[in-house]
Amino acid sequence: MAPGFAAFTLNDGAPAFEEVPPSVSGISWAHVSGQSPEMYMPETVGPGCAFFDYDSDGWMDIYLVNSGACDFYQPAAPLRNALYRNNHDGTFTDVTLKAGVAGNAYGMGAAVGDYDRDGLPDLYVTQYPRSILYHNNGDGTFTDVTAKAGVAAPGWATSAVWFDYDNDGLLDLFVCRFVEFDKSKNIYCGYGASNRRWYCKPNVYLPAPCWLFHNNGDGTFTDVSKESGIVKSLAKAWGVVAADINNDGWMDLFVGNDTVPNFLFANRGKGKFEEIGTLAGVGYGSFGLARSGMGVDAGDYDQDGWLDLFVANVDHESFALYRNAKDESFTDATVASGIGSSTRLLSGWGLKFFDYDNDGNLDLLLGNGHPDLMVENRMQDVTYREPMLLFRNLGGSFRNVSPESGLAFSKNFAARGLALGDFDNDGAVDVLVAQNDGAPVLLRNNAGRRSHWLGVKLIGRKANIDGVGAKLSYQSGDLVRHQWKVGGGSYLSSHDPRMVLGLGPRTKIDWLEVKWPNPSGKTERFTELPIDRYITIEEGQGRWR
Amino acid sequence: MALYCIRWSLSLSSLIMSKFLQSAFVISVGVMVAATIATGQTRPVGAPGAGSTVEQAIDLAAKGRCQEALPVLKRSAGHIPDKDLKYRAAMATARCAMSLGQAETAVATLFLLNREFPHDPEVLYITTHYYGELASRASQELAATAPSSYQALELEAEAMESQNRWEDATAEYKKILEQNPNVPGIHFRLGRVALSKSESPANTEEARTEFEEELKLDPANAAAEFSLGEIARRAGQWDEAIPRFTSASKLDPAFAEAFLALGMSLNSAERYSEAVIPLERYAKMLPADPAGHYQLSIAYARTGRKEDATREMAIQRQIVEKTPSGSRP
Repeated sequence: MAPGFAAFTLNDGAPAFEEVPPSVSGISWAHVSGQSPEMYMPETVGPGCAFFDYDSDGWMDIYLVNSGACDFYQPAAPLRNALYRNNHDGTFTDVTLKAGVAGNAYGMGAAVGDYDRDGLPDLYVTQYPRSILYHNNGDGTFTDVTAKAGVAAPGWATSAVWFDYDNDGLLDLFVCRFVEFDKSKNIYCGYGASNRRWYCKPNVYLPAPCWLFHNNGDGTFTDVSKESGIVKSLAKAWGVVAADINNDGWMDLFVGNDTVPNFLFANRGKGKFEEIGTLAGVGYGSFGLARSGMGVDAGDYDQDGWLDLFVANVDHESFALYRNAKDESFTDATVASGIGSSTRLLSGWGLKFFDYDNDGNLDLLLGNGHPDLMVENRMQDVTYREPMLLFRNLGGSFRNVSPESGLAFSKNFAARGLALGDFDNDGAVDVLVAQNDGAPVLLRNNAGRRSHWLGVKLIGRKANIDGVGAKLSYQSGDLVRHQWKVGGGSYLSSHDPRMVLGLGPRTKIDWLEVKWPNPSGKTERFTELPIDRYITIEEGQGRWR
Repeated sequence: MALYCIRWSLSLSSLIMSKFLQSAFVISVGVMVAATIATGQTRPVGAPGAGSTVEQAIDLAAKGRCQEALPVLKRSAGHIPDKDLKYRAAMATARCAMSLGQAETAVATLFLLNREFPHDPEVLYITTHYYGELASRASQELAATAPSSYQALELEAEAMESQNRWEDATAEYKKILEQNPNVPGIHFRLGRVALSKSESPANTEEARTEFEEELKLDPANAAAEFSLGEIARRAGQWDEAIPRFTSASKLDPAFAEAFLALGMSLNSAERYSEAVIPLERYAKMLPADPAGHYQLSIAYARTGRKEDATREMAIQRQIVEKTPSGSRP
């Protein structure tokens, strides 16, 4: 179905999600971890993935990140990332080589953003030991502009996010860094009496600061990690989400750290960040110890007008849902929300708040898998491959609906990256899960098209072109909702930039307001809107198309 | 949350010693006693400088002649000014007392050794083994003299529990209740076993029932109150958790974890001002635990006591930085 055309609302009895097998999708690529006897840590933590419309045809394409040659790994056969073009019929074609986005080191994740405001999504690929910025040429090809842009971010980069931290209308780049690592720093971690080697816990490695790059507007970036205050906090960062957690008009950053406290970088304006994670109550677990923070996200799950936070951890730590207390502090709502007991024995990576059934409430999807291949030898009740979890938002609390949401939720995966994107343009947001050392899993969402919806693509003009930080509020009869367009979220992954507003059974949307992020800050109101299709709203035009 | 349960189950399992392990102890201790006696640290009788009676007794003990050595060693205990000689005499006394089955002398000597030579690795080592052997002997005696007593059954069940044989342990505990329905502690054990099985609503419900039964028999059982509170806390049922933890902390004012759990639950219920007192109490009881300071900092922060919150947070961070980072299992 082409964008702009109405979808049918179905009640077809199909499961909420179903796997689209490679034989149907045409996605035959698989991740190779390069697992070695030396058990280099990067081998067990990747990869990421992305939905993005690289050729601007209105259909979400897929990008998958692979490992690759580096000082600790020389693959027997060359490995590469994969870009799959959407054929508009549920199938995909591998166009990587033509596009020139194969990667050139040990790949980790992807972050998509139109940094040069040319209307074409550009691609940042995090890698060890140096990352790549691919500029989208608009003709189906990309150019590696890393050197000119100055965003190589040497070290072990993990998640990255595009967002406008200084409200100048240009997308800046934050890059998570994990630990100080190279082949010579690999540590032998033995288990039990046999001292058999296993993947180390990150606490044996030294933390490292993350990167913040300021977009100069001329295709180059300036490393402002130091002057912004980011380097003061030594990270072991896996996941990041950019979101305005205190509603002050400046985008903040929530960073999931493994074995050191999570960071909440409050943006104080004038290019400065203050790390307030511990004070805010999101740094440590309930027992005052740092947990193994992995993927993160932000979303206003209780619709009180303030963004809440989520972070996945490893088994026996419980994941964490933090409800915004509206004063730069958060309340741990994990247990009360019903999420605690379901996640107690799992280890989470990619995750995302989204309204999978288009009923107007933000639900939550979690991709899981233990980082240690040996875990089954040393722990009962914990497995290396683990099931995904889907939580349905009942209006402030969650119910684990995984068992009734399709066969995919009864299988175990080595899930890592998780991206959202409506690849078939039916308004039901689909899911892509990247597996470590395996094939990606593409899940078609059948639930969302049983409700009505409106899809919105934002184009900022004074605000950043991707509209990161925008707030969409809408009313449909008795349903009044708002959604923020956060930057990034999940783990090593990047998502469909369009927002889908769920209406449930309601057949009309009364009004929609778009509050554009600064430096615009404008609010535009729209009425007489269609439903069950995607529209585009360009800042300042006063109309949709 | 998990850490809390792990802590709790650890304290429980420390009370339990499997018969299998106990048997292993008997063998290893026996070998150890024989070996240490045979390879004794003292000089042979008649060697130059070994003229004192105590030295001779130590030498006799080293040769395994404990029947002759022990009376001398016992008589001389408390009258040896030389620290080194006192140490060697006490070690020989303990070994011989164990060898001759004189438990009272052995225990008294272990107390003396631990008092006079605290943190000495050898003292701690033999203390561990000898207590283990004494426990083993007592359990063997129990099994031999009163095999059908509920105490013998309970020991058997505890052994099964320590080997994760949950169904066997449950059956054994239930046998006790069939014979003696009013024995305190058994329903509590059954509840703990139910919680140790794989997590399921049915097992949790079973545990809840057993803890409630325990409280009917023994309303002063703080552990049962605590466990019911923990079940409620894990389900986010603060209204039930809070009175349970309150009760547990009143029943046993030394029950530190009950104060922490109470404070955490009050914080979770956003009753921050009420959380302050139990958390302050916990932080005093276990000042090296970051959990108390962390939760206390939350309670202070939410009640407007910013300076106190900052101080507690600093203490928490200081403790965390001194310990291996992270809680990853």
